[in-house]
Amino acid sequence: MARVGVFVCFCGANIADFVDVPTVVEEAKKIRDVKFAIDYKYMCSDPGQQMIRDAIVQHRLTSIVVAACSPRMHEKTFRKALSDAGMNPYLLECANIREHSSWVHQKDKKGATDKAGDLVRMAVAKSIANEQLHEISVPVTKRALVIGGGIAGIQAALDIADARIPVTLVERSPSIGGRMSQLDETFPTLDCSQCILTPKMVDVASHPYIELIPYSEVIELDGYVGNYKAKIRKKASYVNFKTCTGCGACSQKCPVKVPNEYNMGIDKRKAIYTPFPQAVPNKPVIDAEHCTYLLKGKCGICAKVCEKGSIDYKMVDEVIEREIGAVVVATGYDLWDATPYEEYGVGRYKDIINSLEFERMVSANGPTGGVPVRPSDGKVPKTVVFIKCVGSRDKAKGIEFCSKICCMYTAKHAILLHHKVHDSRAYIFYMDIRAAGKGYEEFVNRAQVETGAVYLRGRVSKIYQKGDKLMVRGEDGQLGQEVEVEADLVVLATAVIPDKGNPALARLLGISYDKYGYLSEAHPKLRPVETAKAGIFLAGCTQAPKDIPETVAQASACAAKVCGLFAGDTIKKDPMVSTVSKEFCSGCQNCVKVCPYQAIVTEDIPLGHGAKEMRTVAKINEGVCQGCGSCVAICRSMAINLAGFTDPQIINEIVAI
Amino acid sequence: MDYSNQIRDIAAKLFAEGKIDVFVGYRMSGFDDNQVPVVITDPKETSVLVFTEKSVFNLTNYLKADHTRNKRVGLVVKGCDSRSLNLLLTESQVKRDKLYIIGVACEGVVDDKGNKMQNCMECFIPDAVVYDEMLGKLQGKKDYIVNADITELATKGLVERREYFEEIFENCIRCNACRHSCPLCYCAKCCIDQETSTLYNGTNTSSSAFHALMTWSLHLAGRCVDCRNCEKACPSHLPLHLLHKQNEKVIYENFQNHLAGVEEGDRGAFYKYSLKDPDDFIM
Repeated sequence: MARVGVFVCFCGANIADFVDVPTVVEEAKKIRDVKFAIDYKYMCSDPGQQMIRDAIVQHRLTSIVVAACSPRMHEKTFRKALSDAGMNPYLLECANIREHSSWVHQKDKKGATDKAGDLVRMAVAKSIANEQLHEISVPVTKRALVIGGGIAGIQAALDIADARIPVTLVERSPSIGGRMSQLDETFPTLDCSQCILTPKMVDVASHPYIELIPYSEVIELDGYVGNYKAKIRKKASYVNFKTCTGCGACSQKCPVKVPNEYNMGIDKRKAIYTPFPQAVPNKPVIDAEHCTYLLKGKCGICAKVCEKGSIDYKMVDEVIEREIGAVVVATGYDLWDATPYEEYGVGRYKDIINSLEFERMVSANGPTGGVPVRPSDGKVPKTVVFIKCVGSRDKAKGIEFCSKICCMYTAKHAILLHHKVHDSRAYIFYMDIRAAGKGYEEFVNRAQVETGAVYLRGRVSKIYQKGDKLMVRGEDGQLGQEVEVEADLVVLATAVIPDKGNPALARLLGISYDKYGYLSEAHPKLRPVETAKAGIFLAGCTQAPKDIPETVAQASACAAKVCGLFAGDTIKKDPMVSTVSKEFCSGCQNCVKVCPYQAIVTEDIPLGHGAKEMRTVAKINEGVCQGCGSCVAICRSMAINLAGFTDPQIINEIVAI
Repeated sequence: MDYSNQIRDIAAKLFAEGKIDVFVGYRMSGFDDNQVPVVITDPKETSVLVFTEKSVFNLTNYLKADHTRNKRVGLVVKGCDSRSLNLLLTESQVKRDKLYIIGVACEGVVDDKGNKMQNCMECFIPDAVVYDEMLGKLQGKKDYIVNADITELATKGLVERREYFEEIFENCIRCNACRHSCPLCYCAKCCIDQETSTLYNGTNTSSSAFHALMTWSLHLAGRCVDCRNCEKACPSHLPLHLLHKQNEKVIYENFQNHLAGVEEGDRGAFYKYSLKDPDDFIM
């Protein structure tokens, strides 16, 4: 005989204002199997939980119903209270009378109360059929995979490795460093980006717990939290890294010139190249798309000049496998292509550049030696117009969101311009100045006061050429009149977008992404680092636009999550997983097709007791199953049951209303 | 339409070459001019095989029986039968390499009174879609026509329709002949019979018959190939095709003209996902 206890929560005024809680308690007392029912102001508080613990012992309760908020909120809290009282925690049932009743029926107190009563009746009926369940233990492979070797990936890898957990860091390009290595100085302190980044890059290369795999990509990820298997394709570099000393003779002599990605295509690199002087690993690779020898079979100069004989044209892509327990995704960002801004003449006028191109120009190791120049004639610009929110916050042309970092780096650009060209002046067209951050507002003030940058609040409507100048016509919203600036150079702060490979990577990893391609976190506030798939975490601009401090903070948060996951030898997992009744399974394999987690495989079992003939049935991998229930719905034979949501439980619920 | 001689020859040849262990075909019933299915294991018996417009049953139903399981089977299929065979293949119930399929370009079969069956008049895939050998002149695909009974049913309102079905199903005696005759009802234990299934509770009340038949029809929705084995088997002569044809129409209209088993690898409309699937029920 079931003995159910019902605990109804006021949730302060959240529930009590719109649901008559004492009535719900009275209704609950009328249910046959309910032996105890009570209300309390905050059931989740310590005294509230104590009421549950006491009642379990005093009234010998066999299952518990808590009518309060969403189980997503406090199911774990109450389960803990149950197990503290010596009861199996899965005998708890939550009736969500807040989100499902009081919050959505604020104009109808009686209706809301009746509905709360129904929800309680359903929960009581279901709880009677609840079974004792036990957490599943899954073994863990203690190795983390970090995808992307920018500052986010570097920080995450270092923090995890410092906890003596092996890390495999996979980077697509020949060197780690990412976007940060392309920056000159960083806001708000103006310290040199390379100077603070390079030591970390070297640490990665020399750390005993980090395996750095540059020039490679993750092509497959199988398995589940704690037990992933990753396939990584190492692209052929055509250079034997073991013997190469990185002397650079090959790059010097190579006759092929290709636009240099590191310098945003402003200058040229060779077909065999090291991306930048501080590259880690500091070894060259051959760009197979442009190398004359690989394309036509002639040349071979690099092989001739290499004293160590490290050039190997016969090298092929190699696929390696790693067993890992967790993944940190840190694929970074890209800049939006501003071509849709036809009125700005993007693409037509050479002297319109984007902010990363400007960044490379003012960088000391950049293509122009740290002096900004006009791409059209190579002259040093005196008047530079910066336009913010190009693409960002523009529903019509680009992207709805704010790219977050542009306000700050444009202020930095104004200061850097002033440092490099003393008699120059910066004009900045802006919509708002968003400088929330430690020392950020002061930094913007510094740009305005120290460098005399002219901040014009308004949008630019048109850019046109007049002689060798660019005329920037816009509105000064504060004066309410049209302004026109005669500019030598125009720099567009274009929107920050995620790496274009993100959707494909997300599908490969089995995680979700938004309409822009940013990877989605599990909860925007409370789980900003995790993805919906257990064991996969996000760091940096792959999740949303971020500046360096925030990226580093998130990367360290990822490391903390990974270390937490690896703290024990096994991972505890909710027992709400599907099970197959083999005797009922007819082997149609529809469940295999519909499972979104690839948790179902097939196995052959004897046709009957002692029979030699075999038949095929479905088998569920408990470690992978997330308990979504798709297989239960699709199974015609009703051979699959989801623990915690069995047919008797669901039917009880339906019958109760 | 008479392919009796060809089928006898092929069956005899297959046995002689050792390609099959069992042959499933039709023979005369012995009482009248109707035919019954026959499962032949002895090569000498191939002479009893016949195939005419009286060969009404869907023989793929016999592939789920013990005497054909894991054996090499030769069988004859018409257009509709081959579609159910396609589904059995994708649902892993039979293995293609164990089958030798004689496809027939079917000109339609007749009922007891010699009239062409209604489903044959509306048939849109008369030729077998999966076969090793083809008999007869190919008819080609035809357009899908909505069944006349369903058009009539559509004139009834929701309540009226429910009452109509409840009245019809009053006569159901829960003998489960429909299920046993259906080639696609192969579950190890039907959900209706399971001890835990509280909805059907094993009793013969009109409510339980209604639920059982509705569940059955939904489990066949998007899979039923309209072979009408169930109707032929029903001792109460229930118009079971109404359930299936109604489902077929709804699915044809809502799931990109899906028709069960026409394409190889088809699992039925409910078991695949497409971005074009209707989602107007989602808020």
